[in-house]
Amino acid sequence: MRIKQKLLFVFLVLIMAGLPSLAANSTFSGMVRDYAAVRTQTMDMPVHEQTLDAFYEHTTDSGQLTLHPVVYSNPNKELQLDLAEAYFDFYLERADVRIGKQKVIWGEAEGAFITDLVSPRDMRSFILADFSEIRKAVPAFKVDYYAGLYTLQGIWVTHFIPTSLPASDSMWVQTPTLPFPPAITSVSFTEPAMPETTLDNSEIFLSLGRFGNAISWKLNGGYVFTDEPLASSVTAPDSATRVIFQAYERYTFVGGSFNTALGDVVLRGEAALALDKPMNSLDTSINPPITIEKHTQVQALIGLDWNMAGAQWSTQYLMVYTHDHTASLVFQMKPVREFAHTFTFRVQDTFFDEQLTARLFAYIEAEPLNALIRPSVSYNFGNGVLLEGGFDLFLGDEDGTFGTYGSNSLAWAALRWYF
Amino acid sequence: MRTHRCHQTVFLVIVLVLGMSALVAADYTGEQVMWEVYNRDSGDTMRANLVMTLTNARGSVRERSIVQYRMDTEGVESKLMFFLSPNDVRNTSFLSLSYEDGRSDAQYMYLPALKRVKRIASDGKNDSFMGSDFTYDDMGSRHPDLDTHTVLRKEQIQGTSTLVVESIAKGNEDYPRTLSWVVEGEWFGLKKEFYKQDGTLGKTLSIGAFEQIDGISVITDMTMKDWEKQTSTRIQMKDVAFNLDLDDNFFTERQMKMGPRG
Repeated sequence: MRIKQKLLFVFLVLIMAGLPSLAANSTFSGMVRDYAAVRTQTMDMPVHEQTLDAFYEHTTDSGQLTLHPVVYSNPNKELQLDLAEAYFDFYLERADVRIGKQKVIWGEAEGAFITDLVSPRDMRSFILADFSEIRKAVPAFKVDYYAGLYTLQGIWVTHFIPTSLPASDSMWVQTPTLPFPPAITSVSFTEPAMPETTLDNSEIFLSLGRFGNAISWKLNGGYVFTDEPLASSVTAPDSATRVIFQAYERYTFVGGSFNTALGDVVLRGEAALALDKPMNSLDTSINPPITIEKHTQVQALIGLDWNMAGAQWSTQYLMVYTHDHTASLVFQMKPVREFAHTFTFRVQDTFFDEQLTARLFAYIEAEPLNALIRPSVSYNFGNGVLLEGGFDLFLGDEDGTFGTYGSNSLAWAALRWYF
Repeated sequence: MRTHRCHQTVFLVIVLVLGMSALVAADYTGEQVMWEVYNRDSGDTMRANLVMTLTNARGSVRERSIVQYRMDTEGVESKLMFFLSPNDVRNTSFLSLSYEDGRSDAQYMYLPALKRVKRIASDGKNDSFMGSDFTYDDMGSRHPDLDTHTVLRKEQIQGTSTLVVESIAKGNEDYPRTLSWVVEGEWFGLKKEFYKQDGTLGKTLSIGAFEQIDGISVITDMTMKDWEKQTSTRIQMKDVAFNLDLDDNFFTERQMKMGPRG
């Protein structure tokens, strides 16, 4: 970390810590976490990270300022300082306006992204200490207009922000093996080309929702970029070398979500239709070997939540269908199936007056059969101090979304202090 | 002669006891008392700061602070709670809508880390309220038709005249029999005992303090003791205010995200 950056960080922390004493309507809160993970197969410790996740909020009659700096410290790496969010909220009688760098969460799915496409993802690590850290903030103007039980929401994301992918030296990086002829000995990817920062290249989202006791629903839509890059062209500097250029492409989606109660059971659902979604087609027997095709894609999820035997239970089924499917379709150079089926399952119970919490969360992909199983426990000492531990177990077929990380199964522990 | 006087005394006592019982019975039936309790003026809207102190069997103490808003309108009781402490749950909010017509409660939780309001599976009325010794049923107003009620006697408690009402649940309950000490004329309970299915005492609710605020009797300090688990929960209410300018627009997803008012 450079000296200027260090000074900026110290200055920021001092300002944020000092502001509440100057302003009665200000709060400074957050969390400090120490998180360490050991790979169960190799018994090495790829992660031992300290995190400061802080919030400064200043409230007035008309609105609120929120600053959300995050600092990550990893052994032998530079301190990573990020202003995760920074926005102003203006509260009007029938509308709220939020301006600035913000995270927006849409939909009813847990652990899946169907209409939840406003904020891109931080996928540098497949497993995060907190799932809430997976979303990246976007620079945006967001307006919520309220009319009784109805809310109309419009979002203008001024600059496209892509999903962050694992670094080339990360344990989570997936190096595709492309079926080029043996004569081609070198295949490389360029850094994705970012869209120009023009008005034309901004993203627009619109939502209409109703918050009802019998049923709550939302209709969503957006004109967006693919959050992950596509291979846009291939060049051949020489006969043995291929260079693959990457870029982000446009498409439109429409969708919706709902939740309702069936007695003591909550039923929720979410679906999205991606219209002419750009996808890569890979066929090294033709020229060019990689092209962009447009296919309509449907994602649909149904979920149930209920309480039983004192515990909270939840299950979901997610289906993805790609229209006009061909065997050459790939996503991030991995084959796309015409139908993909994923199930999730969660159970959570508390013991000792809610001080000890035990959880089990599982993703199961049906074809090929593979899974991520995440058992964990946390003990709350009170006064905001929690000790946690658990396993992230990647099981099953190595061609699957989870099974491919079979050698990265983790045992982990974390200590948190909320202030 | 002595025998005759003795008989006279016994007769007088019997007449007095029967007369008193008849008077009590004539004044109020158990049903009437519990309907008076149910219909007691508790303000159309209310705001209060709650401090919940949970003590476990080892004497270890945990504290939770909550701001609670309540509104009663046409058969619906709306409650919105904002958690202020401990720090790990700060800014979490909980909205519940309870219906007099017996429909299941609608319950929503806002988790600030997830920035999402989730409809949650309705907890059973007999389940613990946030890990405390109170159930959701204890925190609300139990409908009188769910039990049959009998006035057993009058009794002085904390220098106040109360009617002791026995309530027997019509359905299957964890505590099928309760005794309530109801202040005559004011119609709020000063004490309540909960008896388990085997007839033994399971829990006792005792009132530490009550106040008149805006003409409404308010219990500002109460403790629930669980005799089996040897745990207790004390709830203290502070800064109680009634008849605030709240409407349906306050008990919404928008307010859950925005936080408490004022």
